[in-house]
Amino acid sequence: MESLQRVVRTWIASEQEEEVDTAVSEIGSGNATLLDVVKALGEYLTSEEDELRTKGVEFLSLVIGKCPPEKLSRQSVRVLVSFYCGKLEDTETIIPALKGLVSLTCMPAFASTDAIEVMNGLVKHVRMKALVQSQRFMVYKIIDTLMAKHRDALKSMGKDFLSGYISLAEGEKDPRNLLLAFAIDRILLLEFDISAYIEDLFNITFCYFPITFRPPPDDPYGITTDDLKNALSACLNATPLFGPVAIPLFLEKLTAGTPVTKRDTLKGLDSCLPVYGASVARTHARKLWNSLKLEIFQPTDSTTEQAALHTTQVLIRTIYSTQTGEEQANDDIQGLAKDACEECIQILREPEKSQAKPAIKVMCAFMATTPSVARFTLSQVTPHLVKLFLNPDELPNRAPTLRLLADVISAARDSMPNDPETLPAEEDIPLAPYKDEVLGVLTVGLTAGSSAQPALDGLKALVTTRALLADDELGFVVHKVNELLQDGQEENEDISDSALDLLTTISASAPCHVAETTLPLLFSSLPDRAPPRDAQAARLKYWRTLASLTKLCTQPDLFETLVVRLLTKLDLVCVPPNVEDGDMEPGAAYAHSLLRTVVDVLRTKVESGHADVIKYVDRLVPRLYNLFIYSTLMSNGTYMVATDPRLVSVAAQVITLVVQMLSAQRQETFVGALFAAYIQGDVKQLAEGHRKIPSDKKFDPFDVDVSPLQKNLLSLFAAAIVALHKEVALPVPDEAAFLDMLLHWTVTVADNALQKDAAVHTISSILNKRTDWLSTFLTDKLDVFWTNQIASDAQPSEKRRQAISTWTWITKALLVRGDPRAADHVDRLFQLFGNDEISWDAARAVGGVVATDKILTKKNHAVVKFLYAQKYCSSVLPRIIDGAKSSEDADPKQQNAYLVALTSIIKSVPKTVYAHQMPTLMPLLLRGLDLPDFEIRASVIDTLLATAEGSSSSKTKENNIVAEHASSLVSTMLKNSMVRDMPSVRVRTSALRFLAVLPDVVRYDVLHPQKAVVIREIGKVLDDPKKTVRKEAVEARTNWFKFSG
Amino acid sequence: MSGEAFNPNPVVFAPTKSARSLPHGFRLNSLWLDDDENRDEELDDSNEAEVIDQDEIFELIRSISDPEHRNMTLEQLAVVSAPQISFDPRNSDRLTVEFTPTVPHCGMSTFIGLSIRVRLLRSLPHRYKVDIRVKPGSHQSEHALNKQLNDKERVAAALENPALLEVLEQCLSTVGRNADPSAE
Repeated sequence: MESLQRVVRTWIASEQEEEVDTAVSEIGSGNATLLDVVKALGEYLTSEEDELRTKGVEFLSLVIGKCPPEKLSRQSVRVLVSFYCGKLEDTETIIPALKGLVSLTCMPAFASTDAIEVMNGLVKHVRMKALVQSQRFMVYKIIDTLMAKHRDALKSMGKDFLSGYISLAEGEKDPRNLLLAFAIDRILLLEFDISAYIEDLFNITFCYFPITFRPPPDDPYGITTDDLKNALSACLNATPLFGPVAIPLFLEKLTAGTPVTKRDTLKGLDSCLPVYGASVARTHARKLWNSLKLEIFQPTDSTTEQAALHTTQVLIRTIYSTQTGEEQANDDIQGLAKDACEECIQILREPEKSQAKPAIKVMCAFMATTPSVARFTLSQVTPHLVKLFLNPDELPNRAPTLRLLADVISAARDSMPNDPETLPAEEDIPLAPYKDEVLGVLTVGLTAGSSAQPALDGLKALVTTRALLADDELGFVVHKVNELLQDGQEENEDISDSALDLLTTISASAPCHVAETTLPLLFSSLPDRAPPRDAQAARLKYWRTLASLTKLCTQPDLFETLVVRLLTKLDLVCVPPNVEDGDMEPGAAYAHSLLRTVVDVLRTKVESGHADVIKYVDRLVPRLYNLFIYSTLMSNGTYMVATDPRLVSVAAQVITLVVQMLSAQRQETFVGALFAAYIQGDVKQLAEGHRKIPSDKKFDPFDVDVSPLQKNLLSLFAAAIVALHKEVALPVPDEAAFLDMLLHWTVTVADNALQKDAAVHTISSILNKRTDWLSTFLTDKLDVFWTNQIASDAQPSEKRRQAISTWTWITKALLVRGDPRAADHVDRLFQLFGNDEISWDAARAVGGVVATDKILTKKNHAVVKFLYAQKYCSSVLPRIIDGAKSSEDADPKQQNAYLVALTSIIKSVPKTVYAHQMPTLMPLLLRGLDLPDFEIRASVIDTLLATAEGSSSSKTKENNIVAEHASSLVSTMLKNSMVRDMPSVRVRTSALRFLAVLPDVVRYDVLHPQKAVVIREIGKVLDDPKKTVRKEAVEARTNWFKFSG
Repeated sequence: MSGEAFNPNPVVFAPTKSARSLPHGFRLNSLWLDDDENRDEELDDSNEAEVIDQDEIFELIRSISDPEHRNMTLEQLAVVSAPQISFDPRNSDRLTVEFTPTVPHCGMSTFIGLSIRVRLLRSLPHRYKVDIRVKPGSHQSEHALNKQLNDKERVAAALENPALLEVLEQCLSTVGRNADPSAE
């Protein structure tokens, strides 16, 4: 007791937390009770001096706040409750008293009777307007706790509680308090008997609608606008009793408000209407529709328009969903849906006018409401549009009519239940009753140029409606579309695209129609011989046909036909029956286009994981080897089409795509045949096909003295090797020796880029997958290669450059699989930075090793380690940055090499890898823009562009960096955009693109001094000789004109 | 817009295709289909002049919004079209842009003309001299309109008016790369 009194005295004097703790621990250990504390406080609690009284109560409240709940007996709680309620009267003690009550109400010993007493106390004594936010917060907190724990007690208070609470909550303004108040309001509305207080409760909730609160920047409380909106909306839709009062107010806000208010109101209606119920909705239907109509027919913006359409749907659903089953079945719709439909039909009598579009949107929206309304709407709109189409007076308006019809069909389709398991029954397909006439007008529409596009859209919607069209009807559609394609419409890109898209859609489920009618049509239009050089129109025609085939033939059956037909064509073009002289290049180009078609379709199929690709290792791949090996061997003297290197390249792509899809086992057999042909010269197995490989000529592409044409075919070798699984061993006695042979071959034998690439890709791919078997190659052979071919000044620089490129691929093979030996390889590159001849090449290689490529990919089963690029960058970037910015005494040539390495690496890796380093990198990149190399400049600008664009959405640190350098960026970019100073179109385009995004990224006040200059200078670029550059200049200049503070 | 609309329900036309370009990979004057790999080098080829033509001018003005129907473009309402743009055969720096108001009493015509004028002022090199006129017979006060639109001083004066300028910027905000008229 003594000690407690001392504690109390000390606290009154010092207000230190530790005194409170001491008191609490005394109570906790059982040495004292709360009543002892009260006694110890005695004189203070009743002191005449205001300040002492406040402090006294304050101390008590602090102790209770920290006191373990079990130490408060029922008795002491009761005493404390009356004590505190008494203290609420006293303006000096009300605040600490509220604090004490906040803790007390949470106590287990706090009883329902206490709840009533506290509530009465609050109502009687608390004047909310006299309190500040945090104090009012305590009041809400207390009520909230009572609501959670003693709801029945509050309910038993009846009107006293409701009117009391309403008077407390009235006029609250703080968002933190409102969140609590709204939560309490919702419970009141849901659970209490509020019939007598509807208006009052409505007033303390709806007065906050719409929420206009915007959290201040760095708001410590983290309350968002949405938190408040959601909490309020939960009140407004808590009771149907609000309906009659709320709807007129909603309507008022909808008419008068800003776009944001409109959207909030529409959202509010969406959540409230279903709760307010059908009868309220019906009463206000007309007024609601009139307001919604305005938002749909004269929309302020498309989001609000969408929201209004949605609210219309909610309204219709609310009104009509309560109908009984009998009413549902009977399609006699009365009321709003009927009236609105009639209004829309009235507008749709002029389908070409602008109002027709919103009208059809409304009708389409109706289709996603209730089944009966949907049926009714469809029965109104479909016959109307069909009749309109068939009316001879409306002939000029057929295109817009079909456009509207297409929308209706899509909406009808989307309104169907989307259960992939069950096929809908005919009565569940809303469009079924109108199928014939709709199909009729759509196919008629196809025949006229202007209405073909909407007709195709309509047909697409029709064929994608499940279970609607029968097989023969699909055949009819295909037939009609074929006619359209033949009709000379192929010139019109959009139409032929949509037509092909439609055919592709049909062929996914019913390929036979396309296979039987469309494909023969397309194949027959492909010539057997290439059109001559000057026949541009004929060439465009076969390109178009092939492009159509590319789009159509991904489906397995169709692809099979495609391969057969195109291989026949290819054979005919590459080995014509009559030997002809003259210009062979058109033939080669035609053959190239044929193979490209196969590649493009294959690629789509591989991407979508079609399993049928595998079988083409037997049906397609050997035929290609056959054709190419045959042509190469036969070509002595005469030019053979299939020896053209461009053809070899595209054939290689076919082979890679097919081999990729094979299992390791199947690859093993294939590799056996491949090596038999390329190493032993036994081509029987690999190159089965129509052409008989001459037995008197030897196929030996690795031979030193063999013709370049044979060496070119190494490309078809590499194409298969790069796609092997890592388990597949090469059928050679020693893989390391084989690689060494290839390496040697690239240096001494290969005589063009095609051959070198083939050999280097092979080496890189094998090295990446079979590293474990190749350690001698890695340690000894490569070291020799480096010393002799790259480091040695004796080699001509061109040779050294090529060797660096080989080195890059070797390093890449190790790097992507995370092999530590890659680091040593890169280190050697750095050593060349001081070299006079090849420093830039070495520098580019530092970035080149981490650039993505088409060889070492997951699809090609390469061993790729997660985040290898990130690891690589974090190890070399610091070194590069250091080298690039080092002091004045550093060799400027070396510095430039470092800059080149920097630009190259940044071009090669994803932005996230270096984004955090931008502050350091920016000045270096700006210096990179002065390097006399357009390629580098363009890639630097692209990097800066990516940085700027990435930051335009999120106002992050990065754009501060752009802002920091804004003026030098602007002047550099302007310089790089002038044709006088910068001959490269690519650099000019990139620079202008950068200038165009600047206003989105940097604050106006920062760029303001530049505005006039930029507008004037870009004005000159408007006269650039190139169209693409002018386009960018217009865009950039427009953005700067729009840019203002 | 205050007051009665001049044409509350105008006829809407389908937009023409944006550029008469060849499909991807096709190249005129070449035997070969384009392989994606050598695309970049192509671009840098030469700075051979490509003159500004009718299509390029049309591209600039087609997606200006109609002042009365903001969600529609001048092209969709057939107020402007490519054939209505013509170059002076004697002087290639002179061109005439004609536009057709949707109704002869359209009070927005001056404004439409002004928005075309401003767009071209901002997007064409200085050497161009542009005449903007309404299609003959398409507007009741055709003569006055033409005079007003080609009077430098009056155009400049109009641009001094902040309220007018604001609406103008709004109508011009739809032009450019990010505003595809065919996108719904």
